[in-house]
Amino acid sequence: MASPTEAPERTDETHIADRLDKAWLVIVWNDPVNLMSYVTWVLKKLFGYSEAKATKLMLDVHHRGRAVVSSGAREKAEMDCYRLHAYGLWATISKSD
Amino acid sequence: MRVRLGEDEVELLRRLATEMGMMLDAHVADDPVVQRLFPDAHLSPTEAADFRALTEDDLSAAKRSALGVVTQSLATEGNLDVTLQEAEVDSWLSVLTDLRLSIGARLEVTEELMSADVDPDDRRAPALVTLHWLGWLQELLLRAAG
Repeated sequence: MASPTEAPERTDETHIADRLDKAWLVIVWNDPVNLMSYVTWVLKKLFGYSEAKATKLMLDVHHRGRAVVSSGAREKAEMDCYRLHAYGLWATISKSD
Repeated sequence: MRVRLGEDEVELLRRLATEMGMMLDAHVADDPVVQRLFPDAHLSPTEAADFRALTEDDLSAAKRSALGVVTQSLATEGNLDVTLQEAEVDSWLSVLTDLRLSIGARLEVTEELMSADVDPDDRRAPALVTLHWLGWLQELLLRAAG
């Protein structure tokens, strides 16, 4: 009897917690200078992404002009952005809608 | 990773590294090169300025540190034949990137210009050739780094 009412509550809580945790997006923008192979290498190195995932994100940056490469709480997003700047990628952070 | 370069190549890299060091020391905020190496982290100017105030010194120190590693590798007479550890390869890759970004920002390059053959009559030709050579060197390092 309790489960039908409890379940939606848990879902809402999870949803809110998820939204708070994913509230900030780290975006990498296309630039005409950085090599495609270098962008892929940086994404693998900084975020531990697989070759396939890093390559897909790099291609999104290249073809669509930008891609969300990570997300999280504001402090994490700012640190990720800082590390991307240290490797010369053009990155910004934005609050997720 | 073993890196071998000719004397002229070492001399070019040394000159570019010196210029980069001077640029980092001067840190002219409205220089397009500085703006590219220290980009805004936020789209909002206020938030970008706050973030910059907190992080810019650290970012500059990180770039100087990487530059120091590369400069040390280049401290040789004649040809270069050096074995780099993984951390040193990282420094080389980020410094090559900063050098390429600096030339690119100075020339205001576009994707069209980057993918076109260099016109020898273009006054930008020497800088463009250097930009492409640095890219070739970086590509070799990336392939070796895996």
